[in-house]
Amino acid sequence: MRISAFILTACLLSAGAYAATRPRYGGILRVELRAPFETSDPPQSGFGIVDLSHGFQINLWEGGRRAIFNADDNAPGGRPFLDSVEIQLSRPLREQSLDLETGKADLIELGPNEIRRAPAGRKTWSSQPVRIIALAFNPRADDARVREALALAVDRATIWTVILQRQGEVSAALLPQWLSGYAFLFPTAADLPRARSLAAGAKPLTLAVGDPMLRTIADRIQLNARDAGITLTVAPSGSPADIRLLEVRVPSTDPARSLAALASAFGLPEPPHTDSPEALYAAERALLEERRVIPLFHLPDVYAVSPRVKGGPGISPLGEWKFGDLWVEAPRP
Amino acid sequence: MLGGVTEWRALLLLLSLSSLQAADDINAAVLSLAKKTAALAHGEAVSASYRNLSSLPPADWGGLRGAFESALRDAGSRVADNSPVEARLTVSQTPAQYLIVEEARHGDDRQVWIASWNRATTGAPTKPAGISLQVTEIWRQPEQILDVAFFNQGMLVLTPAKLTLYTKANDAWIVRDSAAISSSKPWPRDLRGHLRTTGSTFQIYLPGLACNGNTAPSLSLDCRASEAPWVLESGNRGILLATLAASRNYFDGRVVTQTGARKTVAPFYSAASVESQGRTLWVMAQTDGRAQIADGALEPLGAIPQWGSDIAGIDAHCGGASQVLATRPGDYTEPDALQSFTVSEHAATPVTAPALLPGPVTAFWPSGPAAALAVAHDNVSGDFIAYLATVACAN
Repeated sequence: MRISAFILTACLLSAGAYAATRPRYGGILRVELRAPFETSDPPQSGFGIVDLSHGFQINLWEGGRRAIFNADDNAPGGRPFLDSVEIQLSRPLREQSLDLETGKADLIELGPNEIRRAPAGRKTWSSQPVRIIALAFNPRADDARVREALALAVDRATIWTVILQRQGEVSAALLPQWLSGYAFLFPTAADLPRARSLAAGAKPLTLAVGDPMLRTIADRIQLNARDAGITLTVAPSGSPADIRLLEVRVPSTDPARSLAALASAFGLPEPPHTDSPEALYAAERALLEERRVIPLFHLPDVYAVSPRVKGGPGISPLGEWKFGDLWVEAPRP
Repeated sequence: MLGGVTEWRALLLLLSLSSLQAADDINAAVLSLAKKTAALAHGEAVSASYRNLSSLPPADWGGLRGAFESALRDAGSRVADNSPVEARLTVSQTPAQYLIVEEARHGDDRQVWIASWNRATTGAPTKPAGISLQVTEIWRQPEQILDVAFFNQGMLVLTPAKLTLYTKANDAWIVRDSAAISSSKPWPRDLRGHLRTTGSTFQIYLPGLACNGNTAPSLSLDCRASEAPWVLESGNRGILLATLAASRNYFDGRVVTQTGARKTVAPFYSAASVESQGRTLWVMAQTDGRAQIADGALEPLGAIPQWGSDIAGIDAHCGGASQVLATRPGDYTEPDALQSFTVSEHAATPVTAPALLPGPVTAFWPSGPAAALAVAHDNVSGDFIAYLATVACAN
């Protein structure tokens, strides 16, 4: 900053940004979520809302509608700067974006479509890629050639570009690159000629999708499979199927612990525990060798944040909510 | 490719025996890979390629190629283009380690080796910037520093859990004694604490707690629950008694001036007295982000919109006016800066360039008549670093 431009006078007050450096106590953080959480009590496990138990106390819970958490005066580490966190549940992503733009929300989720539409300069918080999107075969799908054919048929790059809007990473590994350092060793390129030769004579398969957000990816995989000569039918959620399109979260920044947890979540054998990256790579390669699980993408949690929210990022690399150190800017005098 | 479960478990056992330990540094990692590569090459040359997917500093990354090729020669091989032995080295990282992943191929023999070393934390001390504002690092530690005070040959470092007395020996600070500090209530999240020394005695102000102590003949400390006002000084000029809001990080606005007058002003984070044209003014960094300029009776005169929340008055007189040092506005998570200003009734004028610090300033207090003590939370290393800021007037 030029010295000559730094003469500060009272007449600048109306144009000045009132941004104190030290955290400010008080205020409400208004959060919107897509998930309904239609339960009688707040979630006790997982991530996000459950993280508010560190520093806040539940004041109101209306499953599927809204929740209010108040600052705990006796919280370990000190009372949060915010007075409360108000969460609106079951809010579609498009409406969340509109609410942020009109000042009705302070913190919203950003899906790929909203990232594309987001105005330039919008403040966002992003975790590391912690959501593993993968195809998991039912144990009864015992044709290894078809499993490999499907793995080679999926055009990850196009799905990532068109549907995911380049959010996160294309990957054929369970552990994300940021966590293992070696995920790039697992090849991701499609090989349609080889997929076709492996799929010759394959029986029709069904694909179940748990989360409606993954449906567009499932539809694209269906087309990729057809190109390889595999008949794949996308089954309604909850119905029995040969393959499931799943999202599983990385639970820890310890690669060995995370690999064990992911293996368990996907129904794979427990890998041996090791602290060596080379041995961990060998373990992960062994887990994926039979193609019972086909990792596709590693996606981050992405939130858009009002400029009045300070002290961020309010999420950890794993996507945990860390709202205790957030504060909201004072109303202008 | 690996075979069945038995085979890969056997391989894992071998791998875990051979490479359980991370290398000491990049050189040890490169050496181990070069030996394996040379063994694979059986005396033939190796065609090597390199890429960096990590945040390794350019200087270290730049030396990788030379180090690998030198180690390869020492191991009985060499690098040459278009060799049937190929080695692709990728520098990568995890949250805890740097990795060099080598994909080696000799004919049909394909190998992947991974050597790792722990990521060391690297400090990023900021050199003092500007012409006349000198910022000198005096102490750093991982635990939060609330304040640092000096006396004779000693230094007191106040943290949320204890007060530590250091004395200087052979140009290094040595721990002489320490005393624990505890509070019946949880500390506020943005904890503030202040030390005042007079000779060998000292006072400590903490939220809901007041302590008195002595450094001689040995460190003694007596703390009691107290909501008594804190003494805020500005060089040798002004003293203000101010009450810290309970369980908060700001003063609630109830103040007592040096003349004994009681007054309630807007809540503020810090205050400094400054001399301007023979008149004493007060500046208060308010919780709304404005720095309010007031006269000696604390009646508002003007406001400064672009300061941070921590300011300190010192006695340096450059150009006929005393100085106020101020942090800059912004998010508490961003690197901060100190700058020196003179203040008139309605405006502040910078007299030095900003001195950048490696993180936000978490504590800022006058330290004697001519200096201020700033503590910055280094965004890179995580350390809290105490600096002494002084203004040197030009001849």
